[in-house]
Amino acid sequence: MDRKQIEQSVIAALAAVLKCEVGADTSRQNTPQWDSLKHIEIIFSVEDELGIEFSEKEMAGLDSVAEIVSRAMTLHAA
Amino acid sequence: MRHNIILAGLAFRLRPIADADAPLVLELRGDATRNQHIHATSQIIEDQLAWFARYYERPGDYYFVIERLDTGVPDGVISIYDIDDKSACGEWGRWIVKPGSLAAVESAWLIYRCAFEQLGLERVYCRTVADNQQVVSFHDSCGITDRRLLPGQFEIGGKHVDAVEHQVTRQAWSEFGPRLKRLAELTARRVQRG
Repeated sequence: MDRKQIEQSVIAALAAVLKCEVGADTSRQNTPQWDSLKHIEIIFSVEDELGIEFSEKEMAGLDSVAEIVSRAMTLHAA
Repeated sequence: MRHNIILAGLAFRLRPIADADAPLVLELRGDATRNQHIHATSQIIEDQLAWFARYYERPGDYYFVIERLDTGVPDGVISIYDIDDKSACGEWGRWIVKPGSLAAVESAWLIYRCAFEQLGLERVYCRTVADNQQVVSFHDSCGITDRRLLPGQFEIGGKHVDAVEHQVTRQAWSEFGPRLKRLAELTARRVQRG
């Protein structure tokens, strides 16, 4: 998968959980409904979709589409 | 009040707060990234100890530290207080979780278990500053539909601010509790793996 495909998967996962419009610039800071509970749902949804697994330490820092895509790219390439 | 309730979950546990936790409370409540929506707290340790001394004598007030089961490291604090024995109702709050911690979902699950299973309450409510949108959203995301706006409920920084109150009955808890537990289980597996 290339970056574009991963980004599309991440955006789709976020949109499904948050039930709102999501774009490449979506982050926890600009999306009030991205709360701690939804964050867990988002991370597990992205993992299922991409067949990857983030570590506990990584999970909390994945607070934007860009961060999730970057880390997913690294894990996907590994 | 002094109590001895310890509630172990899947990756975290609630245990009674003690004087030794005063620095933790100051650290959590003094964190500028998290304290815009809570009452100001003195950063003097003696003031916190004096607050604890009054808390130990206050009936119907259960203050906990949220700590990891694997290491015992504290990840936050949470409380149930203002318990009215007549109506079997109380408020939960004073909820602060360290940045980067995954304790939010499980600590909420545990405090509801404490309320309904340990203390035998019939109803609990949580009041959140309305501008604290991500915490308001957290309660909404739990599936709590009984909510109302309380205009000017809190005075913070000399200003009256609105609150959103989420109410949970024993019946509502039986409906959304299993989902919180499932999410806590998924999160716990990751915490245990590191």
